[in-house]
Amino acid sequence: MIEPSLALYGDAFERVDQVIQDLLETTGVRYGLLVDRKGFVLSHKEALWAPRPPALDSVATLVASNAAATAALANMLGERTFSEQIHQGENGTLYVESVGTDSLLTLIFDASVPLGKVKLYAKKSITQIAAILEELKDIPPVQLGEDFSQGANALLDDLLG
Amino acid sequence: MSTINFAAREINCKIVYYGPGMSGKTTNLKHVFSKVPGHLRGEMVSLATEDERTLFFDFLPLDLGTVQGFKTRFHLYTVPGQVFYNASRKLILRGVDGIVFVADSAPNRLRANAESMRNLRENLQEHGIDVRDVPIVLQINKRDLPDALPTAMIRSVIDPKGELQLFEAMSDKGVGVFETLKTVSRLVLERLSQNK
Repeated sequence: MIEPSLALYGDAFERVDQVIQDLLETTGVRYGLLVDRKGFVLSHKEALWAPRPPALDSVATLVASNAAATAALANMLGERTFSEQIHQGENGTLYVESVGTDSLLTLIFDASVPLGKVKLYAKKSITQIAAILEELKDIPPVQLGEDFSQGANALLDDLLG
Repeated sequence: MSTINFAAREINCKIVYYGPGMSGKTTNLKHVFSKVPGHLRGEMVSLATEDERTLFFDFLPLDLGTVQGFKTRFHLYTVPGQVFYNASRKLILRGVDGIVFVADSAPNRLRANAESMRNLRENLQEHGIDVRDVPIVLQINKRDLPDALPTAMIRSVIDPKGELQLFEAMSDKGVGVFETLKTVSRLVLERLSQNK
């Protein structure tokens, strides 16, 4: 296994969801995602007023790849890591910050939302999420049996002929 | 190891198309994108140069459906094949669950095939993965080239022990594309159910 895999379970998942929801409400951020380092969405929340989000799979993949490329750059430059990324456009901002070693908090917000405020509250949320993820480290891996494999193979036949 | 999101009940698997430059990795993904119904796939993201050479990666998410309550999804990636993009290739191999190695049948690409396979082994090793621990399927592409080399000769430089499942393909015509993807997906799912 190259990258640590995360499994977000019931209660922990809801707590992470709630932390992101609170962050959105406090700061006015439009979309909040927790993405693992492999580029999969672990959790996502959007503000009530927000329009339909862009394809989240694509956002997560690009954010994780960007973070991986930035980390490789950091290593080349003798840094342990560059923990945050900010991309500011004319109308909006994408802000990404590491949550421990396994995941990335990704926030997308309008230009009217002050970046400083988002960063301030995001740091607090990251501490909370990191603590929840830490609790999950001791959970035994999920067991999927033979039935799963058979069911999945039948679907593969449907999808790919 | 695939990412399992229990609360959302999702299983996500990452499949990477590897191989030398211009061997047809992106063409494989484009064919899948064009043939799979829209509700079962997401958008295809291509980070390519102006002349359509892959710069970082191509990405295509596929929805398999729900298995035992788990929404199961494959993320397909290609790597840039050109030799000097190795840093990018290494990044894309992070968290890989299955690999399709796309080899080129052209005689003047025989060495490039061999070098790309060696590069794959090295990159996996750098991530601490034994090449035998990841399901790999071999696709020998461009079989319709008039001077295509025999598959046995190509295999002898990339898989001399004959350990990998091999598919012949013409990815621009869609031949062999789904067979290859189906086999690697099946191998990934088998490993998943064995909890490896």
